[in-house]
Amino acid sequence: MDSALHSNQHSTGQQVGSDTQVLPLRPASQVMQLERLGSFHQSRLSFMRTLVRRMVSENWQITSPVFDLDEQGYGTVVYQVEAKYGTFSYVLFSHYLDPDNRNDRVIANQWDLTMALCEGTVDAEQLAFLRNNVPKQEAGRVDSRVLVLSRANRSARTFDYVVDELTEGRQPCIDVIAEVGYLYRTTAAYGSGKLGMADWEKVRTKHRDFARPFAAEMFTCFMLRHFSMQQADYLAAQRAPQTATVLHKEIKRYIGIGNSTGLGMAPFLINHPLLINQWIEMRETALARVVAASEVGVDEATLARLEAATQRVIQHLSEIVTADERQNNSNASVREELQLIHQWLQEQGAVLASNHYVWADLIQYAEQSCRIETQEVLNTLLIELYPELVDGLEELMDVEESMQVMPEMPVAQLQQIIEEKYDWALAIDFSQYESMGAFWYRSQEKMEPRLGQTNIDMGMEKEMPLAIGRRVRECYDLLCAYNQAHPQQNVAHFIVQSPTYSGIVSRIQTMAQSQYGEIRENLVHSDVLPIHLLRCKLSFFGVSKFDPRSRLWVRNTMFQGAPLISDFGKPFVDDWQFPIKPVLTSP
Amino acid sequence: MKVSKNELMASLKKAFEGLGFQPGDYHDAADMVVWLETHGFDGFDRLQAALAYLNTTAPNHAVLVQEDEHNAVLDGEDSSILLCGSEAIDLLVAQVMQGSVAGLQLNNCYNRTFILQRLVKAAQRNIAFIAYWRQEDYCVKVSVAAGAKLPEYKTFAMTEMLESQSLTVFAGTDLDVIAEQFAAQLVMGPLLETYTEAEMTACYLDSLEQGIEIDEALWQMLEDLVSRILVESTESSRAGAGD
Repeated sequence: MDSALHSNQHSTGQQVGSDTQVLPLRPASQVMQLERLGSFHQSRLSFMRTLVRRMVSENWQITSPVFDLDEQGYGTVVYQVEAKYGTFSYVLFSHYLDPDNRNDRVIANQWDLTMALCEGTVDAEQLAFLRNNVPKQEAGRVDSRVLVLSRANRSARTFDYVVDELTEGRQPCIDVIAEVGYLYRTTAAYGSGKLGMADWEKVRTKHRDFARPFAAEMFTCFMLRHFSMQQADYLAAQRAPQTATVLHKEIKRYIGIGNSTGLGMAPFLINHPLLINQWIEMRETALARVVAASEVGVDEATLARLEAATQRVIQHLSEIVTADERQNNSNASVREELQLIHQWLQEQGAVLASNHYVWADLIQYAEQSCRIETQEVLNTLLIELYPELVDGLEELMDVEESMQVMPEMPVAQLQQIIEEKYDWALAIDFSQYESMGAFWYRSQEKMEPRLGQTNIDMGMEKEMPLAIGRRVRECYDLLCAYNQAHPQQNVAHFIVQSPTYSGIVSRIQTMAQSQYGEIRENLVHSDVLPIHLLRCKLSFFGVSKFDPRSRLWVRNTMFQGAPLISDFGKPFVDDWQFPIKPVLTSP
Repeated sequence: MKVSKNELMASLKKAFEGLGFQPGDYHDAADMVVWLETHGFDGFDRLQAALAYLNTTAPNHAVLVQEDEHNAVLDGEDSSILLCGSEAIDLLVAQVMQGSVAGLQLNNCYNRTFILQRLVKAAQRNIAFIAYWRQEDYCVKVSVAAGAKLPEYKTFAMTEMLESQSLTVFAGTDLDVIAEQFAAQLVMGPLLETYTEAEMTACYLDSLEQGIEIDEALWQMLEDLVSRILVESTESSRAGAGD
C-alpha cells in the first residue's frame, strides 16, 4: 500500500522536548537492527489506535441502509458512514465459499467476503458495478470513487461455533474465542490507487477523515469486524428466532479481525525508506519525550499505571496460542522478564518518585537484563503513560517520498557519507556465499513477491532490487576508484560515467539526511528472517497476537479489545492494547 | 480504461525495468511519463513513440563530449530523454551550484518533451531553467522559474535552423538573468501557442479526481513488458512464499 506525503521535512531532528527537556533519540544503529524492528509492538501512534480515537471522539455515525442477507448470511450489505468531514459507503458482498477453496494466500481467487470503501453514497448503478467487480478483487477493476478494496475468509474454528452457541441461546466460551481471536480473517486491503482506485494523493487532499497513512485501510478492517459480529447475531436469529441470543458486549469488544500477512508486505519497507523513517522517528520521539518527562521522577499514580499495564501484558502473552515454538518461547521469556521489571519497580518504588530520569534508568535496566522483545514491550508501555506528550505526533506520520540526486556534492563527500551512514553495509562480506544466498523476485502468480535460494531456484536474473547493502557496497567500490582517478570531481560526473548507479546514489544522499529508514540487515543472506519486516510494519498498523506460520508469513489480530460502534461518542479510555479475556459482568 | 496515478507509476516502473532500465532510471522515466500525461502533454503518445525505439535496443545513456566551467555538451547517442534526461539536468545543476549560470546542449536525443518533468523537479532546488528545441517545423521554449511547480510552455514558428534532435538548456538562480544573458539571443518566430498553468492544473486535478484514461492496447503493452520481470511459478517457488 503506497503512501505519499506532504511535509518537506525528512527529519524532525535528533533532539526533542522543550528547552529544559532535551534528550537524544536512540541511535539508528540500535533501532534499525532487523531483530529489534521485528520486536516492535503497537503503540498510541499505531494507525488503528489513531483511527479508533478519532471515530470515538468525533462520534462517527454508521447505519446500514442495505442489509440484504439470506438465511445463510449471503447477500449484500451497505453501511453508510457519516464521519466528521464526509460521507462514505462501505459495501460488502457475502458469498458461499466451498471450504476446500478457502485460501489466505494472495494467489486465492475466491473469498467468503469481499468489500469496498467508497466516497459518498452509492446508487443502484454503482452498486451493480461494484457487485460485478469487487468479488473478483485483483481480476476486477474499480474506479476512483473507491478508496479501499478488501476481502476476508471465515475462521473455520470459531464462526460456526459462535453461531451455534448463539442459536442455542448461549454465549460462546471465552476460551474458544481467546484461542483464535476473531470470526473472519482479512487477507488483503488494497488502497492507494491499485486496480483503478483513488490515489493516496486524492484521499489525503480530499478526504480529511482518512488523511493519515493507512487510515482508510484500517477502517475497512474495523467495519469487517463489525459485520462479522452482526452476521453471527443475524444468523442465530434466523435459525432460532425465539431462543437465540446476541453476543455479549464484552465478548464483542474482545473479538477482533484476523489477518494473514506474507512476503507481499516486505518490499514495502525497503521501497519506502522515507516513510519508514518518519514512522520510526515519531515513535522514537514519543519515547524520548516520555523519558524527558521523568526528569524529576514520576508520581505514584503513573507508577501504578505502569505496574497494572505490565501485569496486563503478562496476562495477554499467557493467553496467546501459537504453534510456533520460537514465538512460544519468546512469549514465555518476555513474561518472565516483565515480572523482573515488575519486581524492579516495586523494589525501587520508594525512590522512583524523585529519581532523576527514572525511565532512562528503567530502560537501561531492561537493556542490560532483558531480551530485545521485552525492551520494546516496555518502551510501548512507557509511551502509553503520557498521551498528552505523544498523541499530537500522530499528525506527523506522513512525509513526502521524493528522492533526489545532489549532483554538486564532491565524490569524496559521498564516499564519506557511505562510510558513516552505511557502515553496516560495508561491514558485510559479500564474498561469502551465505551473504548472497537468497534473492527476492516477483512470481507470475499475481506478481507475488517470493524469496528464492541462490543457484537453486529459478529467477535470479530477475531479482528485485531489495539488496540495498550489496548495491551500496558496489557503488562504494566504484566511487573509491573514481575518486582516486578524479579526486576533484562531483557526483554529477560520477553518474555520467556510471549512470546505472544514479538510483542508489539518490537513495544514499536522500537517506543521509534522515536518521532512520534504512534497515541495517543484509536482506539477501541465506538466513534472513523476513517475518521481522512484516512484524515491524504490522506494529505500526496496530495488530496484536503475532502467530508466525513460518519465517515467511504471520497471522495476527486486528482491533481485538477495541470499542464497538455503539461506544462511539461515549466517554472512552484508550487502553485497549494488549487485549485480555473479558470477565462478563452483566448481560 | 482508467488507471490511477499510483497504479500507472507502479506499472511504468516495472515496464521500464522489463526494458532493462536500472532502479534510478526506471523511477525517473516513470515520473516523466506520468507528469506529462497528468499535465496535458500527451505523455502516452510520446511514450508509445519512445517504446518503439526502447523495445529494440539495450538502454544507453548520454556521453560527455565537451565541458568548461559554464557549458557542457552531451551526445545522447540516439537515446531517449527517458534515459539520459536525468544525468543531463544533474550535470547542469551541478554547474549552477558551483557557479551561477550554465548552459547545456544535448545532441542526438529523442522524446525531448519529457525533459519538462526533470526541469520542474530540479527547479525545486531554487534553480531556474530555459530550455528550447526544434519539434518538427516549430520550436518549443520552456521556462521554469526557481521553485516553480509548473513551467511556462510556448511554441514558436521557426526562424533559425536548430539541430533537429538536440536540446538546449540554460540554468541559473534567476529566470530573468538567464533570459537576458542567454535566451535573448534566441531568434524565435511568431508565437504559435501557449499552454497555460491553469490548463496544466486543471488537467492534473481532473486526473486525480477521475483517474487517467489509458488506451487498453497501451496498458496491455505495459503489462507485456512487466511480464518480462516475472518468474514462472512452480511448486518449489510457492515454498518461497510461505507454503
